[in-house]
Amino acid sequence: MTHLLETDVVVVGGGVTGVAVLRDLALRGVHAVLVERFDLGTGTSGRWHGLLHSGARYAVRDQESARECIEENTTLRRIAPHTIEDVGGLFVLLPGDDEAYAGKFVEGCRASGIPTEELSAAAAHRREPLLAPDVRLAFAVPDGGIDSWSLLRSMAADAEARGCRVLVRHPLVGVERDGDRITAVRVHDAVAGQDRTIGCQWVVNAAGAWAGEVGRMAGVPLKMIAGKGVMVVMASRYVRGVVNACRKPADGDIIVPQHEVAILGTTSEQVASADDISTPPADVDRMIDMCAQMVPAIATGRVLRAFAGSRPLYVAEPPAGGDGGGGSGGDTREVSRTFTVVDHPHLDGLDNMYSIVGGKLTTCRQMAEAVVDRLAERMGVTEPCRTATEVLPGADHGTHRLAEPLARVEREQAYGELICECELVTRAQVRESVAGGLTELEDLRRKLRLGYGPCQAAFCAWRAAGMLAEGDGEADPVAGLERFLEERWRGQRSTIWGDQARQALLNHAIYRGIFDLHGEGVPDEAAAPTAGETDAS
Amino acid sequence: MRRPLRQRVKPMRADVVVVGAGPAGLASAARLAEAGRQVLLMARGNGFTHWGAGAVDVLGRVGGEPVERPLEAIDRLPEGHPYHLVGQAAVRDGLEWFSRFAAGAGLAHAGDLERNRGQVTAFGTVRPTCLVPEPAAGPDGFLEGRVAVVNFAGFRDFSPALCADHLRRIGIDATPASAPLPAWDHDRYFTGVELARAIDDDGFRRRLAPGLARAAAGAEVAVVPAVLGLDRGHEPWADLQAQVGMPLVEAATAPPSIPGLRLFAAYRSRLEALGVRWQFGFPAVGVDRDGDRVTAVRSEGASRVLSTRCQELVLATGGVAGNGIEANRDGSLTEQVAGLPVAGFEGRLAFLGGRFLGDHPLGAAGVRVDAELRPVDASGEPLLANARCVGGLLAGHDPTGEGSREGVALATASRVAALLAFTPAR
Repeated sequence: MTHLLETDVVVVGGGVTGVAVLRDLALRGVHAVLVERFDLGTGTSGRWHGLLHSGARYAVRDQESARECIEENTTLRRIAPHTIEDVGGLFVLLPGDDEAYAGKFVEGCRASGIPTEELSAAAAHRREPLLAPDVRLAFAVPDGGIDSWSLLRSMAADAEARGCRVLVRHPLVGVERDGDRITAVRVHDAVAGQDRTIGCQWVVNAAGAWAGEVGRMAGVPLKMIAGKGVMVVMASRYVRGVVNACRKPADGDIIVPQHEVAILGTTSEQVASADDISTPPADVDRMIDMCAQMVPAIATGRVLRAFAGSRPLYVAEPPAGGDGGGGSGGDTREVSRTFTVVDHPHLDGLDNMYSIVGGKLTTCRQMAEAVVDRLAERMGVTEPCRTATEVLPGADHGTHRLAEPLARVEREQAYGELICECELVTRAQVRESVAGGLTELEDLRRKLRLGYGPCQAAFCAWRAAGMLAEGDGEADPVAGLERFLEERWRGQRSTIWGDQARQALLNHAIYRGIFDLHGEGVPDEAAAPTAGETDAS
Repeated sequence: MRRPLRQRVKPMRADVVVVGAGPAGLASAARLAEAGRQVLLMARGNGFTHWGAGAVDVLGRVGGEPVERPLEAIDRLPEGHPYHLVGQAAVRDGLEWFSRFAAGAGLAHAGDLERNRGQVTAFGTVRPTCLVPEPAAGPDGFLEGRVAVVNFAGFRDFSPALCADHLRRIGIDATPASAPLPAWDHDRYFTGVELARAIDDDGFRRRLAPGLARAAAGAEVAVVPAVLGLDRGHEPWADLQAQVGMPLVEAATAPPSIPGLRLFAAYRSRLEALGVRWQFGFPAVGVDRDGDRVTAVRSEGASRVLSTRCQELVLATGGVAGNGIEANRDGSLTEQVAGLPVAGFEGRLAFLGGRFLGDHPLGAAGVRVDAELRPVDASGEPLLANARCVGGLLAGHDPTGEGSREGVALATASRVAALLAFTPAR
C-alpha cells in the first residue's frame, strides 16, 4: 500500500504544543507533518482563559513551573509580541486572606525569578478602579494576555513556509507497527471520507489531554488525568490587567481581560474524559460569586458564555503500572503544571515515539524544544533549537493593543463597513478571508472573532453568510448559517438569564421569527464537542 | 411646545395608563382612546414593531407544522392560550380594526384570516404570516415566475446572492442583481433607515428607477430589501414600481424593520390625533395599590420616581424578550411592573431548548389571566380588579415559536377595548 505522504516525523495534535513542535522541527530542517482531528486550537489551546503566565500563580507551590513560566513569558514577548496584550497582572489580598501566604508568595516569586512590586490599596485602586474597596494590598507581576489562535497561526505559517505540512480534520485512527517501530500512522481524511496512511520515521505525540488515546493506538501505556476547568466570559473587560487572588489557588480566583471581554476562571476538577466540557450552572455561579469578591461589578454584569477546557495533566508512573482507571471528582490543583517528555523507547520499548505531556500554553515552546532535542539526538540532527530567537511572522508591530481594531477602522474610515459591530470586523477583512479560501462561518469566527460580542452573532452572522454566498462555493449558505447558529448555541445555556435571556430570545426572533430558519438540516450533534466551541483568546 | 410651569407640576393623572409601546400597547392605547377613554401611554422604548418582520402574524405554526388556515388552527392550540381566552370574535375584530387603521394611515395590508400567505425574507425563505403590507405582498403567484433579487449597491444588510441562492433551492427561478444608487450624501456609510428616507424623495426615486429597471431586466418581478420609503407610507413604493414598470416586492430584513417603523409612526400620529399622552423613555417601575385596585403607576423620571394616578392599568410590557419579565439566575421569573406571579422554572437550564432554532420554554413564559384579562393567582382568582394584561406578557403562547405575536396583540387589544369601553371614568 502506498502512503499519502512520507515524512521524517509525524506530530500528532494541533494544539500549541504540537504546532510548536512542528515549527521547531522545521527550523532544524527536519521534514514533518502535523495531523489534527478537528482544526488548530480546538482542544485545550482554545479553551482556556488566555493568561500569559508570569509564573506567580505557581510561585508558592510549584516553583519548577513558575521558573519555566517566567522564562517563556520573556521569550514569547520577544518572538511573538503580536499575540500578546501587555496588560500586567495583580495579586490582590482581600480581608479574609492570610497575610502569611502573601509573605510566602513574595518569597516564592523572588526565588523563581519573577519580579514583583508591592502596591498599597490606593495604588492598586488607581491601577484597577473596579477592584473591591476592601482590597488591602496588591502585588504587580508581569502577567499578560495571549491570543492562542494568533500564536497557532503564526507558528503554523512559519513551519509551513519551511516545508512542513499541517493536516487539519485528519484524526489519527491507527498506528502501523513493525516490531518495536512505528512505520506509518493511519489518519481519516474527514473531507474525502477515507482513511490514508502517512509513512514516517518518528512520531511525536503532542495530543495533550488526549495523549493517552494516541498511546493506546501505538500500544504503549500513557496515563493522562483530565482536569476540567470551567470559565465564564463577561461581556466587557472590567479590569485593565489580569487580577488574581493572593491566596492558595482555588475556584474563581482569576480575571483575565481578553480583547473586549473578561474571562473568569476557573475550576479544577478531575473528570473521566477530556471530552467532558460541560459547564454546570453551579460552577458558573461560583466563578461569578468568587470573582465578584475581587471586582464587585461582576456580580451584576452581563455574562456572555461559559466554557470548559481540559488540562493535560500527567503523573509519571512506573512503567508497569500504567493502566490505572481514570477517576473523577477530585481537585487536580495538586498535580504539577510542569511538563514531561515521555521516553517510550526506554519505558515501553517503542523505539521511535516520544510523548510530550503536561505543561501549559505559556511553556509550549520550551516543551517543543525539550522533545525535539531528544528526537534530534536520536536522528543525528545537529542543528540547535532556534525557536527562542527566531521571531515569528507577523511580529513586526509590537504587542497587540486593545484599541488597534478601532484604530484600524478609523484609519480606513470603515465605520459603515462593519460586518460585526461588537468585534469591529470589517467587510474588507471578511472579503479577504473568503478570498483566502475560508468557507465556513466557524472559520471566520476563529480568524476574525466574528460573533464573539454581546449580541452573540445576531447581526454579523447573516451579513457574513451573505458574503459567503457571493463567493463561488457550492455550499448552501443558509444551511451553513444554521449550522453555525446551532454550534454557537451549545454552551450558552448555562449563562442565560437577565439581559442575555432577552438577547437569546431576540436572536431567536430574528433567525427563527423573521427569517423562518428551523435548522432542520442540522444534526443534533452539530459538531463534536471540541470542534469550535472555543471562547478564550 | 412648553407648557406653563403651573400645569407641569400638577400631580399626573390618567384615566387609563397603558404600559408598553409594542404591537399590543400601541393598539390598546389607540382602541381605548377611540372608545373615549383618556389614555397615557408609558414605555421604556420601542417595542416589537421595530424588531419584527413587518407583517401581522396570527398563527404560523402549531406543533411545529406550518398553518394554512389560522382560524381553524386556533382550535388545536392548548387550553389557556390567549386566543381561547378572548375568542375568535376578538381575533377577527382585532384584525379588521388593524386593516382599517393601517389602510387609513396609507399602509394598506393584503391578506385575510381565512388563509395564511407567504412573506419573502432576505434569506430567500418564505415565512408563513397572515397580513403583509402591500409592498411585501407581490402579485398573486409571483414566485412561480422569474424573479430578480436586487440590492441597492452598498447596502450591507441585504445579500441578493444569499436570497436568490435559497429561493432557487426551494424551486424559485431567482437571479441576484445589484442596482446602482444615484449620487447622494451617504455614498460610503448608510443604514437602511437612511436609504429609506432618501427613497422618500421624488427626485432620488427618479434617478434610482432606471438602474433598478436595468438590474431587474428580464424578470417578471423584483424582490428588494424593505427600504422603499419611510415617512410617506406606501407611496414611494407605488411610485417606484410604476417608474420601474415591474412589481416590486419588499423582502423582510433584519431589524430595524422599516415597515415596522412606518407602522410605528402611523400609530404615533393616530395616538396624537386621539389625544393620547405619550411618556417615552421613562419606564414603569411599580404600582401603588389600595386593596385589589391599582391606584397609580410609578415610573422612572429624570431625577426621581414619578407617580401617575389611574383608574385602569393595561400592561403591554411583553414577555421576557420585551422586558416585561425578568429571567433570574435561579430559574425564577419576575414580572417587572406590578410584581405579578409568573411560573418559573426549576433552574435556568430549563429556560431554553437544546436547539437554538427550535422552541424555547422561556418564550412562552407569562402572566396567567382570567377571561377579562385580569392577572390571577394560582387558584385562578383575580389579583387586581383594574389591571389587564395584553400581548406578549400573557402566559400560554409563544409569540416567536408559533408565529402569533401581532395576532395576540391585536386580539387582546380588541378585548381590552371592549372590556374597558363602557366602564365609566370616576
